[in-house]
Amino acid sequence: MQSENGFYGQYGGSYIPEILYSSQQQILHAFEEAKNDPEFLAELNKQWQQFSGRPTPLTFCANLTEHFGGAQIYLKREDLNHSGAHKMNNVIGQGLLVKRMGKKRVIAETGAGQHGIATALVAARLGLECTIYMGAKDIERQYPNVFWMKQLGATVVPVTTGAQTLRDALDEALRDWSSSHEESHYLIGTSCGCAPFPEMVAFFQSVIGNEVREQSVAQFGQFPDRLYACVGGGSNACGLFLPFLDDKDVEMVGVEAGGKGLELGEHSIRLSHNLGQPGIAQGFATMFLQDNAGQLQETHSIAAGLDYVGVSPIIAHLAETGRLKMTYAMDDDVIAACTLLLKKEGIIPALESSHALAGAFKDAPNLPKDSKIVINLSGRGDKDIFNVAKAVQDETFPQFLTDYLAAYPTNHADNEEQKA
Amino acid sequence: MSQLATFIEEKRQQKTILSMTHVVYGYPSVEESLSWMERLMQEGVDFIEVQFPFSDPVADGPSIVAACHKALEQDLNVDTCLSQLGKLAKNFPDSRIVLMSYLNPMYRFGLDKLAKRAAEENILGLILPDLPIEQAATYQAACKTNHIDPVWLVTPVTPPERLAMLASQASGFLYCVARSGVTGHSSHEGKAKQTSLDDYLAQIKQHASAPMGVGFGLRERAQIEQLIGKADIAILGSALLDAYNQGGQEAGIKLIKDLFH
Repeated sequence: MQSENGFYGQYGGSYIPEILYSSQQQILHAFEEAKNDPEFLAELNKQWQQFSGRPTPLTFCANLTEHFGGAQIYLKREDLNHSGAHKMNNVIGQGLLVKRMGKKRVIAETGAGQHGIATALVAARLGLECTIYMGAKDIERQYPNVFWMKQLGATVVPVTTGAQTLRDALDEALRDWSSSHEESHYLIGTSCGCAPFPEMVAFFQSVIGNEVREQSVAQFGQFPDRLYACVGGGSNACGLFLPFLDDKDVEMVGVEAGGKGLELGEHSIRLSHNLGQPGIAQGFATMFLQDNAGQLQETHSIAAGLDYVGVSPIIAHLAETGRLKMTYAMDDDVIAACTLLLKKEGIIPALESSHALAGAFKDAPNLPKDSKIVINLSGRGDKDIFNVAKAVQDETFPQFLTDYLAAYPTNHADNEEQKA
Repeated sequence: MSQLATFIEEKRQQKTILSMTHVVYGYPSVEESLSWMERLMQEGVDFIEVQFPFSDPVADGPSIVAACHKALEQDLNVDTCLSQLGKLAKNFPDSRIVLMSYLNPMYRFGLDKLAKRAAEENILGLILPDLPIEQAATYQAACKTNHIDPVWLVTPVTPPERLAMLASQASGFLYCVARSGVTGHSSHEGKAKQTSLDDYLAQIKQHASAPMGVGFGLRERAQIEQLIGKADIAILGSALLDAYNQGGQEAGIKLIKDLFH
């Protein structure tokens, strides 16, 4: 979606410290050139295909459709990307842009670690130095992802300020960029931040919706009647929705994280029920969860990837103008939706994507039998093994962890002993 | 000429370089921060830059970030802050107070109301590091109506045309960021090559009729000496906060005396 000077209605823009002005302008110009350069686009398509496995399929879910007895349910399988999520579409695009700008290092923020891993993968492949900022609390919750980032050669910096989660990681990434802008690119993971990041990330993610346009016509002879996507920062939603923006018959539903309840601090609902307020922070204007004094507040979701205080200015604008309908799913509904998909279709969804499932499952029984809905399955759920095990109260898991720990060599001496 | 620029010009008749010391409002408590400001003014600092805390201060380094987060454990109110600063301004007519914050808390308070209330309390300058001049028309108009100065920042990597534009629009004083990175000591200090500070300041002076303040990374006497004759104000932020954290008001005052003797 084209912005007006970086703005989408009243949202977006570029509110950054003066020190970042030149670097921001450089990205603005580089992106403008790249997106109109056939050679760049050819390379992008090649990498999407050969490195990430695109196009991803559009999968019909016969059992779920029968189960609900309403709309015909299709999944866009972004979980089948390399790294297991749609994040790959964006990091490949920005990675190629970094090479084009001649920079040697990338900085990224990550919440759950999906964007961190995707960035580390691309950095390794393109020979870029890579520093990932991650809240110390998120590192505790998502250590397996941290482990892989390190194995891929990235430096993972724990952020210990504030609530020690994604918002703080983003602040710290901006601070790094303020000092390292000459040789480093800030590879932001979602369609947020100062212009041109929202537009650029949405552009790279739009491959999702563009594929759905072709696949839907090929598989069922029309565009979908309705699209569903979860909305954290908003990049997978932008990716699915934006290519259908001008197709007025295609309805769009964004699903936010209702978390544990509607009290401030228990959820990440920014765009419905008057829970978010307009604000300007972290480089851009959007709807933020904040108090009356304009201080940003804590958020919660069972899915770390949806646990963000702001939201894409593009999504905020589309929600405000009514093009996009916003709803939310509570943690419990999300686990139920995840479990249902596992049992009915043999697909393991990420908890983020399970929000989109939960939103769609609520509507599906009431939709006409000949209607077609497409749910963006933005990521796979392997990474959520610990959280899901806890949520479904798996009885064997604690024993596995205990046994694993008992057998784990805890110091160097033990290692040596084992070798000997 | 603006009230702030006039004040600076007059003071500069007596001093080679003026001091601006930074204090986080509400750190470690509102009362303590006000007492610290009062002490600084008693000791004769020329300016206090009061930072109204924001949860996400992206242009600041670890010392100031930690102080802001600590301060925000209390509920802080912009209007109350301005009233309290106004009282200090009245009691110490030989010094001036400027208010620094980030856009969001000020935007929520209302930029028009902010300019009006600041002027009422004799706070003559406002610094909002995340509000670029391109988005600032309303804010600039509000400042103008109320005869106070929006303070703009320039940096060593600001392109020449933009530097000329910012310098020409500067009123009160121009905040010259001395290096890349965030405030204070941190892992995010600029490592990249940059023009020498002397050349940088000379370049700004070509375009700026407003007085010049220099900040970011100042913590030694030699750095202050280097600014004499090239700038009007030396801005002391994180170094002062670090001294205060280590040895309270006395350590802070000692640092100021060492730097500005």
